[in-house]
Amino acid sequence: MWRKKYNKWQRVLAPYIFIAPGFLFYMMVTFIPAVVGIWLSFHKWSIISPKAKFVGLQNYITMIHDERFWTAVKNTAIYSLGIIPGIVVFSLLLALLLNTKIKGIVFFRTLFYLPVVTPIAVASVIWMWIYHPRIGVMNSLIGLLGFNRVNWLGNPNTVMWALIIIGVWLAVGSKMIIYLAALQGIPRSYYEAAQIDGAGKWKSFWYITLPLLKPTTLFIVITTTMGAFMVFSQVNIMTQGGPVDKSLVLVYYIFERGFTDLRMGYASAMSMFLFIVTVIFTLINWKLLGRNVSYE
Amino acid sequence: MNRNKSDSQLAKNYKGVIGKIFIYLLLTIVGILMMIPFLWMVLGAFKSLKEIMISPPTFIPKEPTFKNFIQVFKKIPFARYYLNTAFVTIIPTIVTVLTAAMAGFGFAKYKFKGAKFLFGMILATMMIPYPVTIVPLYVMAFKAGLINTYTGLIVVGLSSAFGIFLMRQFIMSIPDALLDAARIDGCSEFRIFYNIVLPLCKPAVATLTLFSFTSHWNSYIWPLMIINSEKLRTLSIAIPMFNGQYEQYPNLVYAASLMSLLPIIIIFIFAQRYFVEGINLSGVKE
Repeated sequence: MWRKKYNKWQRVLAPYIFIAPGFLFYMMVTFIPAVVGIWLSFHKWSIISPKAKFVGLQNYITMIHDERFWTAVKNTAIYSLGIIPGIVVFSLLLALLLNTKIKGIVFFRTLFYLPVVTPIAVASVIWMWIYHPRIGVMNSLIGLLGFNRVNWLGNPNTVMWALIIIGVWLAVGSKMIIYLAALQGIPRSYYEAAQIDGAGKWKSFWYITLPLLKPTTLFIVITTTMGAFMVFSQVNIMTQGGPVDKSLVLVYYIFERGFTDLRMGYASAMSMFLFIVTVIFTLINWKLLGRNVSYE
Repeated sequence: MNRNKSDSQLAKNYKGVIGKIFIYLLLTIVGILMMIPFLWMVLGAFKSLKEIMISPPTFIPKEPTFKNFIQVFKKIPFARYYLNTAFVTIIPTIVTVLTAAMAGFGFAKYKFKGAKFLFGMILATMMIPYPVTIVPLYVMAFKAGLINTYTGLIVVGLSSAFGIFLMRQFIMSIPDALLDAARIDGCSEFRIFYNIVLPLCKPAVATLTLFSFTSHWNSYIWPLMIINSEKLRTLSIAIPMFNGQYEQYPNLVYAASLMSLLPIIIIFIFAQRYFVEGINLSGVKE
């Protein structure tokens, strides 16, 4: 009797107990901080002062009138627009090359994916030396093409290019895998039918492969844009937003206001702006692609 | 007629070989370009200080030396940073795999009130970008007295939405009949999880362990925020600092970087299949 009751109860409770730790730990670092962040964005507070002061929309009004905030938004947009074409073109090219039946595919796939698993802090440090004006390999490379030496990170005109190159390098591997999965999902019969109709390789690529990859490309463009809005680590390590704010991106500016000036409320208000941008992109993603699109 | 046919066959083969060479050539060029940072680091780690300062730079070290690696340990408490990183990587990885497997099992194999809501909540909060949570998380950690502690470093990495999805997806493929049979034999729900489900999940567990390990090992922003004390520094914090302090010694920076990357590179090379397939397995693309 007791045993039966115990069995029944444990079946009812079991799922909640199984889910609880994972769910609660996750909410603790996502949902709860987000709510605290919304609260903070309506308050003036530095971590060392004892009490937060309610200021209504003041932080948001400050934000709209903050010129450096708009510089940061602009730079972040430039960065996104810079990395998107690079990532789409290179990851598609690599996926197409890897989708052929030749030996050593796994080896090359490993090479191309390696930057994805490299710690960003270490990668940033290495790239700083690659961009070194005097002893960096980047200048040797462009020297081969006949260009003069450039102070990549110190020159306001090139600093964003330097960051874009790293951004493409970092992301190409993971996007390539997505393209590869999509390519392998295209039924072979389509190509066979095209071949019977006398279409060559280029024609099948233009009229079959590319159109069928459209949803994948859209997905990659949207996730790349969202990722680009989060760029921070390499900026913090390599340029600290300089020179003359040319690499000041949004998250770096949030970080600066929040942790250098201890303006937690203002920093939170700016992060809410970022949140809204992300939500808009996610909604576009859903609207265009459907919630449960499968790319396999 | 026959002759013609073999001729066209030959031409086709010939074209195929040219095509292959072309593909290999392209793959090699892009491969080298992508590898430049790694090559530059590895080669630089073996150059002497004198050689590394030559402009224009040399590529292959003329007199390779191991001294740089030893020097790193003399200049900074590198072993300590290494152990710190290992500690704040291994514990969250174990916990993450466990909590994800449990939650994945709960979502995959039970019908219960609120299942949809709880799952939807994980989905919805996944959308929250990290910059939104980072300032409030810092405030919360500050209030809880977790600044400059190992607990503070570990506590943010105990669960992963990606992991929960991955596990749920995988466990759904385990037949219900297997679990029911165990129930009839008087197995408790927890024993079912531990003795039946978990052993069947090995591939998913392996994938999640690898993902979780690399993401914790590479973690930069959170340690940057909550660690000031030198004793608690992880490699991701120590390497850029080392770079700042020893600006005149890039060879030492390369050597330290190479050593800090080693576990990740080794794991990745041996288990790259899991990484690449894990992305497709979960349906989560990032």
